[in-house]
Amino acid sequence: MAEKYNTKCPGVKRLMREAIELAEATEEYCARPLEDNLFEWHFTVRGPRGTDFEDGIYHGRILLPKEYPMHPPHIILLTPNGRFEVNKKICLSISGHHPETWQPSWSIRTALLALIAFMPTPAEGTIGSLDYSPAERKILAKKSSNWVCPQCGQTAELLSSTAAKPLTEEEQTVLNQIAFKGEEEQAQKPLGEPIFEPQNIQYTQQVLESSDSATSFLDQLTEILVALLIGAIGIFIYRRWNALADSEL
Amino acid sequence: MADDASSSSACAGNSVDNSINQDELIMKQQREIEKEISETIPLVGDLEALSTLEKEYNEDPIYLLKVKDLSAKYKNIRRTRPDGNCFFRAFSYAYLEHLLTDKNEYDKFYEIAKNSKEILVALGFPQFTVEDFYETFMEVIQRVGEQAGGSLEELGSIREELHDKFNKQGYSDYIVVYLRLITSGQLQTQHDFYQNFIEGSRTVTEFCRQEVEPMYKESDHIHIIALSNALNVGVRVRYMDRGEGSQVIAHDFPEGAKPLVHLLYRPGHYDILYA
Repeated sequence: MAEKYNTKCPGVKRLMREAIELAEATEEYCARPLEDNLFEWHFTVRGPRGTDFEDGIYHGRILLPKEYPMHPPHIILLTPNGRFEVNKKICLSISGHHPETWQPSWSIRTALLALIAFMPTPAEGTIGSLDYSPAERKILAKKSSNWVCPQCGQTAELLSSTAAKPLTEEEQTVLNQIAFKGEEEQAQKPLGEPIFEPQNIQYTQQVLESSDSATSFLDQLTEILVALLIGAIGIFIYRRWNALADSEL
Repeated sequence: MADDASSSSACAGNSVDNSINQDELIMKQQREIEKEISETIPLVGDLEALSTLEKEYNEDPIYLLKVKDLSAKYKNIRRTRPDGNCFFRAFSYAYLEHLLTDKNEYDKFYEIAKNSKEILVALGFPQFTVEDFYETFMEVIQRVGEQAGGSLEELGSIREELHDKFNKQGYSDYIVVYLRLITSGQLQTQHDFYQNFIEGSRTVTEFCRQEVEPMYKESDHIHIIALSNALNVGVRVRYMDRGEGSQVIAHDFPEGAKPLVHLLYRPGHYDILYA
């Protein structure tokens, strides 16, 4: 791959260094660039222990902007997991939806660690988040090991049994910082906007999320029923009108 | 200056309100327009006569008076792209240019630059990535060192090389990142002192993570004070705004230091000045 890119370009040099750093799979995560594209990677992460995701092996894509590492990578999950929508750029404070908090000194590894740490946090209706029940998430986690990536194959086999490099203090700080940001946002909402009742927010969230899940079929059914009903009323009124007109004659 | 699709509030929008989405679309569009304008301006421009500034303010008597005052003190200006990184870019370009003709200052700076990585790693910055920025930064510094104090011809070609590197987004941004890290390092090492400059309840570390380390965040006094102190380099900033008087006020950082770098500040933006 080296000959395809200008290795003098700092961004390219950086991605190659990261590829070497991440070359060896660990039991928690692995990631590598596609054979023909240094700016698209595929990753696999194990769901964090002691959570609904602990049996899960989740696979996804990392899209690197050409300005990387000045701009953050985008993460797209491919394995259904019940926490993040699949095939959608997801919303973490470290991902592309928050470019202003991304730091060039963070890396793909940081992004993956943050993703793992973020999985068990509440969805809070953020864009790209799903709020499936623990039971649903556990089922998806069990199913996930059979998931096959067209490019990488059976994803459960991509992770190794090697323990990952333990988190350094600095990494822990970064990860804590990301988790902290979420809490801060949550804490501010009831203060800033007392008009919103928590239940209402909950309701809106569910409606929003349902569009993405199987219940969207129910929504469609309801729409059809409503349309039929309006139609029936229309016909009814029309016939009454005609009947009235007839009786006047 | 963030040019990405959504701002932070987009992610918090769980009570989806169309008016918010509209505002965001407008903001996004505005950011895109700003970005487009900004990208037509080179990262670091060519040397221009100061008279080009006069033309800019032909119908603005307040600014025209100040440009006149500036013309008495400086001959040339070099513009930088207004992308939020302009202070760091202008500073490093002007300082490296100066180092080409000041070998003593170069040797002093080289020692500081060389030791800077250890300081950052000790502060807890991720070694893997700090090293990446450090290496590119030092590569440019070393090129300057090889040619510093050379013949006129040699200086001409290294000036061109420097100009070229500063206009290559990759190199140029790497230098900016590393200077941002040094600035952050200085703020955190001397946090007791710098805490006084930070308004609101943010800690120095939070301030660094939000206002110093991310790219495209504009620089304020505190950034300039920290960087000029960290590198021990005198910077004179000329302030040109709508304020009273016909003079462009000078502010030296650190106070009392001999200025080696001269910058012109107009609200929100820094360019380089040459005497």
